[in-house]
Amino acid sequence: MTLELPVDLLFGLNLDLNLDLTRVMTANAIVLPVVLPLLAAFLMQPLAQVSRLLARLLGPLVLTLGAWIILNTWLEVGPAPFSVAIGGFAAPLGIVFYADQLALLFALAVQVFTLLFWPGLGVVAKAEAAADRQRAPRRDALALLLASAATGLALSGDLFNIFVFYELAAVASFGLVCADDSGRARIATLRYLFISAFGSVLALVGIAILYLQTGTLNLAQLAQVAPETLQGPIGLAAFALLLIGFGVKAELFPLNAWVPEVYATAPARVSALLAGLISKLAILVIVRLLILVFQQPEASQLLLVLGVLGVLTGEFSAWRAQDFPRLLAFSSIGQLGLVAIAFSIDGTTGLLAGTAVALHHLIVKSALFGLANRWSGGLDALAGAAKGAPRAAGLFVLFALSLIGVPPLWGFWIKLLIMVGLVQGGAPLDLLALGAILLATAVEAHYLFRVALRLYQPPVPDRALRLAPPARWDTGVAYLLGACLVVISVAITPTTEALRVLAQQTGDVLLYIDTVFPQPLADKE
Amino acid sequence: MRNIASLVFSAGLLFLLLVIGAELALGYPDMRVGAEYLRIAGPELGAANIVTAILAGYRGFDTLGELSILFAAATAASLVLGHRRADARRDPPGGLVLSAGADLLFPLLLVVGIFVVVHGHLTPGGGFQGGVILAAAFFVALLANPARTLNHALLGWIEGLAGAAFILIGLWTLVEDGHFLTPLLPLGTMGELVSAGTLPLLSVAIGLKVGAELAGLLAHLADTEAPDR
Repeated sequence: MTLELPVDLLFGLNLDLNLDLTRVMTANAIVLPVVLPLLAAFLMQPLAQVSRLLARLLGPLVLTLGAWIILNTWLEVGPAPFSVAIGGFAAPLGIVFYADQLALLFALAVQVFTLLFWPGLGVVAKAEAAADRQRAPRRDALALLLASAATGLALSGDLFNIFVFYELAAVASFGLVCADDSGRARIATLRYLFISAFGSVLALVGIAILYLQTGTLNLAQLAQVAPETLQGPIGLAAFALLLIGFGVKAELFPLNAWVPEVYATAPARVSALLAGLISKLAILVIVRLLILVFQQPEASQLLLVLGVLGVLTGEFSAWRAQDFPRLLAFSSIGQLGLVAIAFSIDGTTGLLAGTAVALHHLIVKSALFGLANRWSGGLDALAGAAKGAPRAAGLFVLFALSLIGVPPLWGFWIKLLIMVGLVQGGAPLDLLALGAILLATAVEAHYLFRVALRLYQPPVPDRALRLAPPARWDTGVAYLLGACLVVISVAITPTTEALRVLAQQTGDVLLYIDTVFPQPLADKE
Repeated sequence: MRNIASLVFSAGLLFLLLVIGAELALGYPDMRVGAEYLRIAGPELGAANIVTAILAGYRGFDTLGELSILFAAATAASLVLGHRRADARRDPPGGLVLSAGADLLFPLLLVVGIFVVVHGHLTPGGGFQGGVILAAAFFVALLANPARTLNHALLGWIEGLAGAAFILIGLWTLVEDGHFLTPLLPLGTMGELVSAGTLPLLSVAIGLKVGAELAGLLAHLADTEAPDR
């Protein structure tokens, strides 16, 4: 008799709990795009001994699944940011993932772009030598690790966890860069490794300083205590060290000596991933730190100065470059300088411009490196290439115009946005940056047009055209990205509005803190 | 030009470190998170070794990341290393003393390694440390007799399955409890071998993975052709 009521109550409770559980599960499933690639990478080599075909398909399958999970979570949970305590340990003690629109967007981009530039896709299996077939599972495992690490960088809300993923991305990229077994690539990798390790040590020192000053590495808690503990030179020193550390992958000015050699010798798709994707995620980490932890104006000024130097050195070096991959590498340094400048602008304008220029560069530079897969020689050898591949040459011109910022294209609106932001800032440093951007644009236009003209020249008869065999897949990807660029350029108003909402959400420090440390309802009133 | 740039950079870095040295209040760290770990880690996770409680419990996700870094390094190294012509000369065997010593050490290292791994939640040590000792057990034998080779396929299987076990435990807890890598299973009595829920299982997975990985990496290094002299 007495048992009936509690059972009923329990039932009702159970139902509620179940409903709640599905929501929690949806949100918690966001760890899967980080974890499943790791699982697949661990199992890749044993699997390759059982079935080579399955091992080849595993990577693309996992990435597709990851993209689907992220999209699904995004749609289910809606536009509001949410946080996930991994292992169920509440925020400052455990690790949290913080998923706002920016994080989800980049996490999705990681899956999609790794899939588009997957090393084994579109390569005919018969053409692969036996040695390559042995390497393929290892290379695929590294690519999966890179994807997992990049997704983690986008989502993580804990500074040490971010450092772990950053290291994972670094080590995986060392392996991918020299996967093709050429001596030059190995030398380039060695230099990359030294610079990267040096940067990581300094970043670790910066993290140690933060921990010593604040006693926590959770970004939300850091954001809470930063105004009291991280003002003054010590906070700035920590930021400088972290900037050096994360600046290595973000190709910031003094730390990008590895870039040209690595991009010129690595497989083109790996270059596309590093230049397009990984650099953006490193920048994303720097931006999160800038918004949440280092709010002093000197910090963004430091980023601005490095950005200006990056734009100038990158574009002038690209102007002098003699072959296509190196030209793209230097231009990538310049573009990332532009990203740094954009993010150093105060408030929503800066975040909007920064996100836009980062996405633009992600699309354009990845596609250009994809094209470089077929035009990997010196610039002279490109003469007349348009005749053999008119559509690829047309795509190159489209991307070049957008990079320079020719009006109807997206690149123009972004540069306009940055310049307006700089003029509104109005400080001498801002105006200097404005001048640098204008100068760099002129230089950029000159060298990109030079390449375009060479493509449409009549071929030089005595110089045999040594074009790589047409990489159909890469050209197809370039088409796809070109179509994206055109669509965004046409739908510029909705895109900018969507990005503005995203930027407002990203810049909201209180929202971040409240999401990670949800306050009981009683407290809010 | 490059020298000047590096000089300027080094000078800036030195200045930065000096500023930090002068400004930092060393010796009295703010224990915002640390004190909390000390207070609740024991009762919450039931592990006598708080370091393991933090590494495999609170920050188990970081540990998964670190495992992956080691895996990435081993994979990248195996892409670069291990090239050997079929007729390349090998180092001669190390002689009676070395091989007898290696034979003596092998069971000892194996036992110590397994002990350190299995007692990760009780005594100092754990998966990483024990795994390295396990790898050493196999590598000492290789040093004594360079002509011997390890079975890379088998190592690959152990490594892959151990890593997968770590993640599968996490996925199991995700399905069971809604959180990835949350500790499940009864905690038991602190200090006993079977206690602390899933922590010892994670520790064993880490130990096997690290051991197999490192053994494979060292074997690859040993297998790489020595330059002809």
